Amino acid sequence: MTHQPPAVSDPDPEPPAPGRPPDDAPPPTSPPGRTIAGPDHAAPRWWSERRLPAAAAALLVLAASAFTLFDVARVRTGHTAAAWRKTLADELATRPIDDPWVITGAAVAAALGLFLLVLALTPGRRHLLPMAATADPDGPRAVLDRDGAARLLRDAALRVPGVSHADIRVRRRRINARAQVTFRDLDTVRTEVTGALTAQLDALALAQVPRLTVRARRHGP
Amino acid sequence: MNSHSVLNRTLLAVAGLVLLGGGLLVLTGALDLYRRWNLEPPADWPLTSPHDTIVPAQDRTRWTDEGWWWPTVIAALAILMALALWWLLAQLRNRHPGRLPVGNPPCDGVELHDSALADALAADTARLPGVHTAHANLTGQADHPHATVDLTLEADARPRDVLHALESTLHRARQSTGWEHLPTRAMLRVSPHRPHRAE
Repeated sequence: MTHQPPAVSDPDPEPPAPGRPPDDAPPPTSPPGRTIAGPDHAAPRWWSERRLPAAAAALLVLAASAFTLFDVARVRTGHTAAAWRKTLADELATRPIDDPWVITGAAVAAALGLFLLVLALTPGRRHLLPMAATADPDGPRAVLDRDGAARLLRDAALRVPGVSHADIRVRRRRINARAQVTFRDLDTVRTEVTGALTAQLDALALAQVPRLTVRARRHGP
Repeated sequence: MNSHSVLNRTLLAVAGLVLLGGGLLVLTGALDLYRRWNLEPPADWPLTSPHDTIVPAQDRTRWTDEGWWWPTVIAALAILMALALWWLLAQLRNRHPGRLPVGNPPCDGVELHDSALADALAADTARLPGVHTAHANLTGQADHPHATVDLTLEADARPRDVLHALESTLHRARQSTGWEHLPTRAMLRVSPHRPHRAE
């Protein structure tokens, strides 16, 4: 937000309509089609703040440095060092590095370091599917929860006559749908479920439409 | 990515590099890979033989008799502790913009509290068709506030329509505050429900 006066000389170029939201002027979007993720509608993933790993790492460093500082200060004031520090120094000084404990510790440290690097460099928030940006550049940037998408798709599949049960797995790039069919022709139901899910996927307005796989199975007598 | 995310990710990457580097250094020496793979470590490279220890006693006591050693150790530990405490506390606080100027150009003496705007946004959004509940939050600084809106949709909602409706709600928020921009993120969930067949 900038507080410079607008470039137009009129101080209030867009007087708000009293009492009525301006939603009677629909944004100039194309009619809903399958390709909603055009190149100019790129919606990047949301980047997690990584608060929890950061808090855990900070807590560990804090605890380690606090204990060490406390013990160093104790020794400086004439007390004896704590047992854990003596043991640690002794072990670090005597155990050769091909000792199984040292190798295990080093392997764990390396794996943890790799994990932290992955956390630092990847966006995270894998359970959120970015939605296509609206035509208005100031419009909201939205994401849809994967579980929510699965619920909406399940309902769409269940509306097809003959489907008694639908199991929808929404992944980031693929959607696997399995329908149990109690009556009607299996192929017809599969085609109709595919149509219903495709229509519902369009209503979800995802930036990158996952690939849809539909399987139908006869259920019951 | 906001500054908070950049800080956390930078520090996590540093911690990860330290752990990974240290672990690999010990593993390379322990498994005697320098000899097996005919690698020539640089001079004074630590931990080149499987019989080395991580901190030999003569290394540990090398400077302990020097007058500067213990003050330096204590100062370094204190600084590390203070930084870790600051990093930890940074995770716990949410930055809210506080009082926001209203109008374009801003009117003197008129301010809007961020929670008031968030409540108004949430109330407006919750009334949209297909929206079950809505929560809004304002973050960032007073001259660049960001809004986040968490929506829980009804079972029969169409996210595309909800998004378009939300667009006009935000347009109205910008009009009523006089701001040109209000960057907004919306997270859409769907309320858990039993299978729902009715159109």
